[in-house]
Amino acid sequence: MSGSIEVHGLSRVFHTTVRRPGVAGALRSLVNPERVAKHAVSDITFDVAPGELLALLGPNGAGKSTTIKVLTGILTPTSGEVRVAGVVPYQERERNARNIGAVFGQRTQLWWDLPARESFAILRDIYEVPKAEHAARLKEFDELLDLSSFWDTRVRHLSLGQRVRSDLAAALLHDPQVVFLDEPTIGMDVVVKEQVREFLRHQVEQRGRTVLLTTHDMTEVERLAERVVLINHGRLVLDGSLDEIRRRFGSTWQVRATLADAHTDAVALPGIALLRRDGPQVVFGPDGPEAPTVNSALKAIIERYEVTGVAIDEADLEDVMRNAYAQAGAAA
Amino acid sequence: MAALSAWRVARVTPLGELNAPPRMTGVALRLLVQVVLVASLWHGLYSHTGTTAGLGESQAVTYAVLAVLASRLRELDQFAGRDTVIQHMHFGTIVYWYLRPLPPQRYYALRALGEQVYGFAWALGGYLICLAAGVVEPPGSAAVTGVFLLSLLLGQWVLHYIMLATDQWCFWALRNNSAILIIIFAQNLLSGVYAPLWFFPDWFVTMSSFLPFQATLNVPLSIYIGRIPLSDAAGQLAVQAGWVVVLALFTRFLWRRAALRVVSQGG
Amino acid sequence: MNALRITWRVTRLNFRAQLEYRAEFLLNVAIGAIWQVSVIVFATVLLARFTGMGGWDSSEVLLIPATRMLAHGLFVLLLGRVHFIGRQIQEGRIDIYLMRPMPVHRQVQLSYFPTNALGDLTVAAGLMVGALSRSELDWSAGRISYLVAAVVGGMLLEAALFTALACASLRFPAADYWSRWLEELLGTFGSYPLNVLPRAVGGFLTYALPLAFVAYLPAAVLTGHGHDTGVPYWLAASAPLVGVLAYLGSRLLWRWSLRHYTGVNG
Repeated sequence: MSGSIEVHGLSRVFHTTVRRPGVAGALRSLVNPERVAKHAVSDITFDVAPGELLALLGPNGAGKSTTIKVLTGILTPTSGEVRVAGVVPYQERERNARNIGAVFGQRTQLWWDLPARESFAILRDIYEVPKAEHAARLKEFDELLDLSSFWDTRVRHLSLGQRVRSDLAAALLHDPQVVFLDEPTIGMDVVVKEQVREFLRHQVEQRGRTVLLTTHDMTEVERLAERVVLINHGRLVLDGSLDEIRRRFGSTWQVRATLADAHTDAVALPGIALLRRDGPQVVFGPDGPEAPTVNSALKAIIERYEVTGVAIDEADLEDVMRNAYAQAGAAA
Repeated sequence: MAALSAWRVARVTPLGELNAPPRMTGVALRLLVQVVLVASLWHGLYSHTGTTAGLGESQAVTYAVLAVLASRLRELDQFAGRDTVIQHMHFGTIVYWYLRPLPPQRYYALRALGEQVYGFAWALGGYLICLAAGVVEPPGSAAVTGVFLLSLLLGQWVLHYIMLATDQWCFWALRNNSAILIIIFAQNLLSGVYAPLWFFPDWFVTMSSFLPFQATLNVPLSIYIGRIPLSDAAGQLAVQAGWVVVLALFTRFLWRRAALRVVSQGG
Repeated sequence: MNALRITWRVTRLNFRAQLEYRAEFLLNVAIGAIWQVSVIVFATVLLARFTGMGGWDSSEVLLIPATRMLAHGLFVLLLGRVHFIGRQIQEGRIDIYLMRPMPVHRQVQLSYFPTNALGDLTVAAGLMVGALSRSELDWSAGRISYLVAAVVGGMLLEAALFTALACASLRFPAADYWSRWLEELLGTFGSYPLNVLPRAVGGFLTYALPLAFVAYLPAAVLTGHGHDTGVPYWLAASAPLVGVLAYLGSRLLWRWSLRHYTGVNG
């Protein structure tokens, strides 16, 4: 039970006021506002096992933030059930607060006028973390995130990368089982991004934290997530591995192989089609919905044939996701 | 443990100020200039007049200078610290208040307390200097001092709730610039910062007696200068205490509604 | 011409934006009135209590807050947003403005519509009417034009002070801290005959922080007290001109400061 996230049939409807155009319209809206319902998320079900890192993907406005807000206890769902580490977040907000840590992209929870280290101390006392434990964890985080080089600087003077690293540390200092990260690396340079990813991997693999991550950075997803949940227009489109997404939305890889013997008979393999043949040069591609991933296909081809060279053309994840968003959008 | 977190949260403001020496120099300079200006203004106004509205020259000057000092108790550059409700609403960071095991209302109260104590140190320092320089008169007796301090405490308590309610307003309005300006003005005018309330026409004094503002400063300062005799002080203290209770209940209610609003709108 | 059209369009949009925040707008309108009435009460209270303040009779003194409030109302309506430059600098808005093909100062002015100015102006106009009707002066065309010039000059002087402060904020964002105090000083000390103050203090409010030029000195000239202000008569009489010069100077300073702007937070 500890550290799991369960989402069952989650829906959330917002009521907003429509503004009429023009000054006269604005005046009318002032007196007689027109309300409409907007379904931010509809009937979403998924779960995350303890110690798993799940990437929640979807285009802007898909309902990712709404989902995270419900899971952190900030938002009450219209219907459905949610449990985070066994606690219903919006019913027992404070109990849930002790189990979770959260970073919302560029929004900092640090105290603007104080050095980052002071913020850590305030949070330590708010979360009632014993001093020795806090010091040990801070040391660990410092080794991974290099915090000590800037933690005596006031937050207002930190660079974005430094601030987000401090925010990550701040969110994890109370040893939460579950961590929510809403676009944590947005706007950071590659070096800092890599440092943050390394940190997250460490937190999942070594500390067994459950992480729910939203991001638009596909490299990040590839490096970190074993499993992804894709939502669009508030509905769940896919829950599975990255490979599954590739298979469903991005079946565009090609393997070009040079056969050692130009006279070998090349034939299609299960799920792999022979696309072209030109002497020793053969090109394979995926075949049907059961096609293997490019890695398995490569393995199968090398096992079956003696080759002197291979090259892989693969649609990168960005292309796959573009395809996925477009298709899912059309379906919804 | 709870005491520790209280201490940490309460010292955020003093620590932030100590980390910004230019800001502290600014406060000192501003306090000095304001006291000099206010004292000379009231001396000037009284130069052709004896006692008016029951206030003599030294009483009026003492009242006005103490009002300047007292208005510094909570007037810090909160905006610079980016920890006001309006900024948290604006930057979307209010969510963090609701993500911690410390209830937002307690966090807010602790921050306010820290500010109050820090501001009190300034006001007290300024007071002692003014007293030594003969700008203000000392209180009439030990009993007056005691009642004044009690009344000042109650007054600051009322002021805290007024400021809290102004901040809570942001949960609904998303912006409170105008509300803040109006409250600051009303607070200054109706509590006697601009001019002792005794100078105002009767209808104005009657109206303000139904509002909480006069309980914040006018009552304690009038006790200090002896315009409210000790024999009448009990009733005034009761009014102050009454405002504390009423506003405590009201702001509690607003906190509950604010939480509902955050929970239904998502901050 | 194009600039005017854009200004008008953006102002209309801003006015609509004000309507978006319903509670805020209604509050602005409702409480604005109470505020202004309180100002009048405040101004008249002291006049009634301290007759003969500084050797002026109360109908003469009333001209000072009336001029000052009308100038202030116009300032808030036309140029008041300089007041918020400090905050816009801290939020990084200035960097965005710098990238647009329109003067930064104008963009700042167009950042929102000052709903409260409408209330300010209405009541200030009322106060001015009251002051004029009580006045025993002969309101010749010359006097009236001088009064109009004084109001405009006062508006420009207030704008100049806040623009100068905004220039400081470009360098030191913390300078924003002073703007509220400046407004408070203008509001309180701008409404008295400053000769009730000791010479040094009056001199400070004339030469260091020139709020005497907003309303006190022009009112002194109008009411015939121009020779006992402690300021050379020609200087007191040219108060409207001081406002114009101060504003032009502050705009030059602003342009210079903007060229030397280095940004906040790296």
